[in-house]
Amino acid sequence: MINIKLLEIKNLSKEFYKGDKSVIKVLSDISFSVKKGECFVIIGPNGSGKTTLLRLIGLLDTTSNGQIYYNSIDLTTISGKEKVRYRRKFSFVRQKPVVRSTTVFNNITYGLKVRGIKYDDYKQSVNKIIEFIGLKGMENKNASSLSGGEMQRVAIAMNFIINPEVYLLDEVSANLDSINIKLLEDFIMKIKQDKEKTIIMSTHDPLEAIRYADRIAVLNNGQITQIGTPNEIFIAPKDEFTAFFVGYENILYGLAELDISTGLSQIKVGDLIITASSQQEGEVKACIRPESIGIIKEPAKNTSYRNTFKGVIENIRELGNICHLIVRCKSEKFLITITELSRKNLQLKLKSEVYINFKATDVKIL
Amino acid sequence: MADDIIEGILEALRLMFTFDPELWSVIGTSFRVSLTSTFLAALVALPIGSYIGLREFRGKKILTNLINTFMGFPPVVMGLIIYLLLSHNGPFGALGLLYSTTAMIIAQFLLAVPIIMGTAKAAIESVEPALKETILSLGANERQLWWELIKHSKKSIIAGFLVAFGQAISEVGAVMIVGGNIRWETRTFTTSIVLQTRMGEFGMAIALGVILISIAFIVNYGMTRLQSRVD
Repeated sequence: MINIKLLEIKNLSKEFYKGDKSVIKVLSDISFSVKKGECFVIIGPNGSGKTTLLRLIGLLDTTSNGQIYYNSIDLTTISGKEKVRYRRKFSFVRQKPVVRSTTVFNNITYGLKVRGIKYDDYKQSVNKIIEFIGLKGMENKNASSLSGGEMQRVAIAMNFIINPEVYLLDEVSANLDSINIKLLEDFIMKIKQDKEKTIIMSTHDPLEAIRYADRIAVLNNGQITQIGTPNEIFIAPKDEFTAFFVGYENILYGLAELDISTGLSQIKVGDLIITASSQQEGEVKACIRPESIGIIKEPAKNTSYRNTFKGVIENIRELGNICHLIVRCKSEKFLITITELSRKNLQLKLKSEVYINFKATDVKIL
Repeated sequence: MADDIIEGILEALRLMFTFDPELWSVIGTSFRVSLTSTFLAALVALPIGSYIGLREFRGKKILTNLINTFMGFPPVVMGLIIYLLLSHNGPFGALGLLYSTTAMIIAQFLLAVPIIMGTAKAAIESVEPALKETILSLGANERQLWWELIKHSKKSIIAGFLVAFGQAISEVGAVMIVGGNIRWETRTFTTSIVLQTRMGEFGMAIALGVILISIAFIVNYGMTRLQSRVD
């Protein structure tokens, strides 16, 4: 990742005026920055302001207050003509796609046409993308007669082909069936591989956030409550809302290799090797739910757990009859949920040396 | 009275099927005046109306009210105004346009402009915001967006044009005042029906009435077809 701020949002707010002159504050005092090549995920419940935030970044609406810097240029003060120029650096894929009432082909190529690119120059790339997105043979169909999933594919194709600097994806996987979600996943992963491209996406699905995010911002009621890496957010949510909404999850980044003798993946995560019941190889994200991890004082013999690590308790959070333990095992931190009763029985305290264990089947690969 | 009607209908059929030259003169004048005025009005009103629909600006509400008011402007009053402007002692009297088809076209043009402008504006405004945003986010500039929205709402725009044409061809007050209902020159369907009815010549009046209703039917049929058609 190139470590420069591509986008910087400063104290952004947005108010809507209702007919009776009353004001609805949709976003207040939003500040964050996004680096070039990063995938920045905004997670929040419905009505938290995710769409509005993306629309403001995409210059589709005017801000009430604050600045949006793109390569240090404040986009909230530029002229209409400049706005068109900067808008062309973004693409915006909506939750509910809208197409023009013309052929699939004309819809896909519209962004190129308005940029004055000649047909001969884009003919090949159009065919390529039509094939990639699975719309071959449908080029001459009227796009407005397509199903929701097919329409979303058209929307993806028409936003992909303009080759923007920044992809704004607004809850794009909502309302899609599993086949279309898979297509979308391939599409997003393809963009992620290109380190020149930046993604800002919104979602209400924690797993989707983990899958794609380099960093996550939690949006609640028009305010950002926390920004951090998935690990930071899912292990240490800052407030009750975040904890409740995103849930807890141990997220480990590693390199997976298939062990032929066992048929299981060996994932190298920092100084640890984790075994997962998966055949996946290469860069992976492994998720382990905090309640799936067991904790013991002495290393168990003849255990069925594939993963056992020695660690030290770094933090204890008491939450009524359950408690959260943060255990550091060499380079990695694990969040573990146990009952208050078992903590007392095991006499677990800060700095206690412990062993943690979990099954290979409890390691979920994203 | 019943005899008059039957006689009138028979006379109407005779006139229509013998291609009576006076009947054709009336039809020709009516179409020439109404089509010319509506086309010219569309030329002016369509770009302006759709542009007003596209933009948000100060005073848009007042302008909208103004257009809406003029959409229902009484044609007789329009006739009076044009008459006063073009009459011998009026500011444009020297042009000698009073009692000509040009005067009629001017009056109907001014009546049609707000109708086409208002419908074009409303058509553009009723386009779902999501489509506008999608077009913008794909990189369209204002002119390109404008053109897309006109294409998108072409049905409503054509409907507005047809409404204006229907109003022009069936309008009587203004064309009577500024055209003067001169035989072979400025006599139209409507002014002719008024005259023939007064003179008790029901045959001609009924023939013209039937044709006028047929035109209204065709225009309406066209509109229904237009609205039910899937592109």
